[in-house]
Amino acid sequence: MDGMLTLLVLLPLAGFLLNGLVGRRLGTGFVNAVGVGIPFLAFGVALWAWRTLEAGDGAPIVETVFTWAVIGEYTFEISFYLDRLSAVMALIVTGVGALIHLYSIGYMKGDEGYARYFAYLNLFLFFMLLLVLGRSLLVLFVGWEGVGLASYLLIGFWFQDAAKARAGRKAFITNRVGDAAFLLGMFLIFTFVGTLEMDRINEAVGAGLIPVGVATAAAILLFIGATGKSAQIPLHVWLPDAMAGPTPVSALIHAATMVTAGVYLVARLSGVYLEAPAASTLIAVIGVLTAFFAATIALVQTDIKKVLAYSTISQLGFMFLALGVGAYGVAVFHLFTHAFFKAALFLGAGSVIHALNGEQDIRRMGGLARQIPWTFGTFAVATVAIAGLPPLAGFFSKDAILWYSVASGQGGTVWLWVLGSITAFLTALYMFRLLWLVFFGRSRMEPETERHVHESPVTMTGVLVVLAVFSVIAGWFALPQYLAPLLGTPEVRFAWGGWHLLQVIFAVLVALLGLVAAARLYRDGGRPADELWQRFRGLERVLAGKYFVDELYDRALQRPWRWVSDRVFLRLGDRLLIDGSLHGLAALARWSAAAFARVQSGSLHWYAWMTLFGLVAVLIWVWRYV
Amino acid sequence: MSDANLLLAVSAMLFTLGLVGVVVRRNLLVMLMFLELMLNGVLLSLAVFTFLLGAEAGAVLMFLVFVVAAAEIAIAVPIVLLLVRAGRTLDPGSYAGLKG
Amino acid sequence: MTIETVFLSIFSLGALAGAVAMFFLRHPMRVALALIGTMISLAAIYAQLGLHVIAVFQVLIYVGAVMVFMIYAIMLLDVRDRSFTERFSPMLVAGLAGLLLLVGVLIDGLLRGEPLVAPVVREDVFSVGTFAIAFMDEFWVYFALAAVLLLVAEIAASAVIDIRRRGEDLAAARREKRDE
Repeated sequence: MDGMLTLLVLLPLAGFLLNGLVGRRLGTGFVNAVGVGIPFLAFGVALWAWRTLEAGDGAPIVETVFTWAVIGEYTFEISFYLDRLSAVMALIVTGVGALIHLYSIGYMKGDEGYARYFAYLNLFLFFMLLLVLGRSLLVLFVGWEGVGLASYLLIGFWFQDAAKARAGRKAFITNRVGDAAFLLGMFLIFTFVGTLEMDRINEAVGAGLIPVGVATAAAILLFIGATGKSAQIPLHVWLPDAMAGPTPVSALIHAATMVTAGVYLVARLSGVYLEAPAASTLIAVIGVLTAFFAATIALVQTDIKKVLAYSTISQLGFMFLALGVGAYGVAVFHLFTHAFFKAALFLGAGSVIHALNGEQDIRRMGGLARQIPWTFGTFAVATVAIAGLPPLAGFFSKDAILWYSVASGQGGTVWLWVLGSITAFLTALYMFRLLWLVFFGRSRMEPETERHVHESPVTMTGVLVVLAVFSVIAGWFALPQYLAPLLGTPEVRFAWGGWHLLQVIFAVLVALLGLVAAARLYRDGGRPADELWQRFRGLERVLAGKYFVDELYDRALQRPWRWVSDRVFLRLGDRLLIDGSLHGLAALARWSAAAFARVQSGSLHWYAWMTLFGLVAVLIWVWRYV
Repeated sequence: MSDANLLLAVSAMLFTLGLVGVVVRRNLLVMLMFLELMLNGVLLSLAVFTFLLGAEAGAVLMFLVFVVAAAEIAIAVPIVLLLVRAGRTLDPGSYAGLKG
Repeated sequence: MTIETVFLSIFSLGALAGAVAMFFLRHPMRVALALIGTMISLAAIYAQLGLHVIAVFQVLIYVGAVMVFMIYAIMLLDVRDRSFTERFSPMLVAGLAGLLLLVGVLIDGLLRGEPLVAPVVREDVFSVGTFAIAFMDEFWVYFALAAVLLLVAEIAASAVIDIRRRGEDLAAARREKRDE
């Protein structure tokens, strides 16, 4: 069908406009129908688009909506591009998105900004679809910026709280820094390739038309943009703060979809990254380091959402590790499985928070397994999935990543694998820690809270169940093979196939070790762990302080910048130069007026003398020069 | 130097003395008199040229200037009188109220 | 050196002497008398130039009306204040500098030109008869305008007098109030 992709993209936009403009007036029922109905409708259209794609045997579908600008000999079009990769992304975005919209009905019930919330959420869907379906970097960038905007609006949703508003601002500004690099990369590519359409960029670079240095530079710049959006070192600082937003927002935007935009970008431009090994190495290194450090921080966090936030950063690091060693399809695979179990975890956390009427500190939870069984069940399933225990989803994708980190012919090394495995261990450890502290053991809740513990409504638990089911079966879709025509898998540099089997066994053992360690350390409310930490006070302090990165940025960047803004821009530029020149002009006028006013002194003698003098001057001038 | 030039020089001197007198003297009535002196200086120059050109128009103009001078003095002196009655002094330095 | 030149020189000297004397005399009455002297010298010069009508009118109107009016005002305002004790204003030095400048410029301008030579003219070209005929005949418009000017001046003088009287009444009324 013609215009199918355009319809897909415009549906959420219509939802935004309807809910944003008239939602408040037409009541909750209308908001629900539009706000939840439209994402499900969009999911239907996405399925249909995918079916059409498959009917054409995977040949990309291109839809041009309109020509944005014609400048000289260059044409900039708004066009959509559907191939297997973007189809997968679109399905995840609309599918998981629709589920989370449904969940929000229960979670946001009674909130004053109900209509506004669904409007923003639909707006986010619109921009995200622009991002994944755009053919050119330009359209992608529009979507990129747009999801940043939606994220800002939703993080600071309860903007009356200054801290939450500040968190939204921090997210937006940090993203902006990345976007500056993104733009530079775009300009570089455009200068050398002459077009911004990504399929043509891949072709041009793959055909060797672009010098390696240029490709590397552009690749690195675009990756820096990706670190901003996908919360990698050094621009990861906004994601933990973003937990100030409502939990479904954290699930959708900061777990399943927006933060994966960076991964999608690199995967989409795989043609460029294949020709830029230096850039790929950088991506792999940053990915694994981010994964490792985030995992260590997650180990000591006490807010349930913060643990999951750092977990997200860590898993994104894994995805970038895979991208860095050339395993693009595997990275997308992990993105796919991660969307399900991370969304399940976040929504489960939301359910817990909802049950405990707002409590988020895991030190004040415990023993909830019996009281909120559905939440517990789905949370447990998702935890096992993320830990990487077979045959759940996380096992397949994470194992593939670890395998390629050592075995890839495009940059796989042992120490990447070592760090990756340690991180996998830590992942299992902190996730099971979370499970134990929240759901097992004796209750450490406030008595008041404990009395009101209740299971969430079916709109919430139903979604949890669906996501938990997918967390189980998602790994059984052979996504890397499905994407192989598009995103090749790298060659394995080991001749003997037995290494892979050994790796698999090792990975499973590592995950089980994590489970056992967590069970031992964190039973009984975490007392054995606390005693263990007593011996490593300093380390605990560093981890709890998130390696003091925010403080470093404040000291190294914000303070000097504030000084420059105050001294140079405000005092010098604004007050002295701009205001000063205006005041100066006025003062000049006043001064000259005062000087001229002195001529009118009121003294007749002075006036007569001036007449005399004027007469002399005129006579001289007339008789000498005329 | 011919007669005409001599007289024109005298006329210039009278005019200058009249103008400088207005600048220099500190009595309103004396300043008025110096204005009359200026006018006389100009009249002398007019007379010289009337004589040189033999033009009747010059003589008529001189007569009309007399008329104007008379009218002018008829207004100027009462103004000074009123001013002095209000300000109680003939010193123009005291009348600096219109300074800018 | 003709006799005309001698006469002209004498009376020119007289006019200048009167003007310079005006500069230095302190009492306004004496200043007025010096000015009268200058004016009479000028009348003589006019007569020497053949402008007898004008000479007569100089004495009649200028000396006889204008200066008399000035003397009347001087007698009325016989104030012995600062204007009497200090003859010169603060601008004395500047004034003298201006004097030198202006005289210099004017004489310089005068010397640049060629000496003017008087033509030979008819004896009676400026006689009373010809003057009167020319005045009433060719220049009667200006005559009428001059009459209008005099009328306006008379009305203005009357208005000034009225103001003076009103001002006097107000001043008198204020003084009465103060005394009460």
